[in-house]
Amino acid sequence: YMKTSELERCQGSNIISDCGRLGKAEMMYKNGPGTGVASRQYKQESFEQAPMYVAVMTYLGYGIVTLFGYLRDFLRAVELERCHVAQEKEEQKDFVPLYQDFENFYTRNLYMRVRDNWNRPICSLPGPVFDLMERVSDDYNWTFRLTGRTIHNVINTGSYNYLGFAENSADFLKTVADVTCQYGVGVCSTRQEIGNLGIHEELDKLVANFLGVESSMTFGMGFATNSMNIPALVGKGCLILSDELNHTSLILGARLSGATIRVFKHNNMLSLEKMLREAVCSGQPRTHRPWRKILIMVEGIYSMEGSVVRLSEIIALKKKYKAYLYLDEAHSIGAVGPSGRGVTELFDVDPADVDVMMGTFTKSFGAAGGYIAGKKELVDYLRSHSHSAAYGTAMSPPVTQQIIRAMKCIMGNDGTTEGIRRVRQLAENIRYFRARLKEMGYIIYGSDDSPVVPVLLYMPGKVAAFAREMLERKVGVVVVGFPATPIAEARARFCLSASHTREMLNQVLHHLNEVGDNLCLKISQQKYSSQPDLYNEANFEPDS
Amino acid sequence: MALGDYWKQLSWFYYQYLLVTALYMLEPWERTVFNSLLISVAGMAVYTGYVFMPQHIMAILHYFEVVQ
Repeated sequence: YMKTSELERCQGSNIISDCGRLGKAEMMYKNGPGTGVASRQYKQESFEQAPMYVAVMTYLGYGIVTLFGYLRDFLRAVELERCHVAQEKEEQKDFVPLYQDFENFYTRNLYMRVRDNWNRPICSLPGPVFDLMERVSDDYNWTFRLTGRTIHNVINTGSYNYLGFAENSADFLKTVADVTCQYGVGVCSTRQEIGNLGIHEELDKLVANFLGVESSMTFGMGFATNSMNIPALVGKGCLILSDELNHTSLILGARLSGATIRVFKHNNMLSLEKMLREAVCSGQPRTHRPWRKILIMVEGIYSMEGSVVRLSEIIALKKKYKAYLYLDEAHSIGAVGPSGRGVTELFDVDPADVDVMMGTFTKSFGAAGGYIAGKKELVDYLRSHSHSAAYGTAMSPPVTQQIIRAMKCIMGNDGTTEGIRRVRQLAENIRYFRARLKEMGYIIYGSDDSPVVPVLLYMPGKVAAFAREMLERKVGVVVVGFPATPIAEARARFCLSASHTREMLNQVLHHLNEVGDNLCLKISQQKYSSQPDLYNEANFEPDS
Repeated sequence: MALGDYWKQLSWFYYQYLLVTALYMLEPWERTVFNSLLISVAGMAVYTGYVFMPQHIMAILHYFEVVQ
């Protein structure tokens, strides 16, 4: 274990740096004299804590709703009120209970009350603007009915449409239509059997070329890529070191594999190094044999926080302790980096240093599916040993062609500059939106490069009110609460897109301003000047 | 109209109260229950203060020997 004095001695090295949660209203000053790009990135991540009264009021609100939840459960139990939840038949009441009542307490008593803010039916393309079907509830959200009216041109800040490839104009989709005419829509087989089409091979080569690695393999479903391939890579006797805030697909894959899982604090290199040292020194729990493999699982951009992984430090750690790295670039591929190649380009890191690069096509490419890329031996092994490869149906041809055309567009291979224009437009939108939000006084999490912008709302009442008020003003937002986030940190998550024009962003910001004043959401205590670049320069520690 | 402004301000404060205590999520009858509980407890506190304040003040003044 590292003692504090050892820590101080090691401050100079760029391997050990701590960036745990912030103290009150302080910018994170991460140490780390490193190369300019990498250390500049780290200084821009902030996780500001809310003032104390906000936390107290949040818990007060939850306490009151919980008390009323108990009251309503009591009323339902003594049948003073009709129970809408699933129940057993009369004859089965003496059996072992099928529906565990208390576990659904949160769903029954908190989620149901404000359920109208989720699962909203959309009846158009999820582009920069979309159409919603209006629905009302007569019995406080237990059942809904559609009124028949459509709400047109709602600005979409919730779709993962980072580069704007969710489009339906005929000239962009010409190749997709041709491929559908040639191959049809269903493949009717797995890739191992008879579903390996020429277009799949073309996509594999294109993905490998795009990422700058030897070889890659694509799968029909992004979630299944993670959950079905990790069991093929690690097994019993291996160690997985996974970040605190990893996605469910990674956690599921890790649990399915049977390896030992240890969780390190989010983006905290000290915690990771401590665990690596302990793993290498002590070995497996009882026998103290060395671990067969140590796999570090991280994501490129964490979608609930908007924070970016500290890739160069993790690569240095992995080389020092001889571990493997699994990088899930679901949100970062196509969306970060000067030419859209993901976090490896953002941190100027050789893609060959990352052992397993994984990503999805759902976000920046407007399609569906996932990929795993890396050395040729790895990908060849996965082709025969992975569950998803052996049993999962192959990707549908029009979807494959959509990915091919999107990737060629980003790389510039189709002869236009449309791809690079979109990547630059996204970067500009991100910078502008984040700077304006901070200026207004909202608390925002995450790095300044991430297209995911979580705006903290904290209180459960404000979560529902925010979503409803923004919809009234024709802006569609996604709000998230417990259990996807910690209980006291409910948030609204904005996903920016290259297809959002400056006017749309200004409209959204204008409405955000109004709603923030109505709901008292502007509780940030950091003073941001209107020229954020200037502010950052002033705080940049000079490399001595 | 000044009265209209006051009414708007008052309803904004009531809205903030609803949001902070999460009463915004509850059904109208639940809000009524909670508000009446709150008002009755607050009313009882005020009434107790009204009844016992003279005695308390006299006791304090007696202690500090301001009045015999």
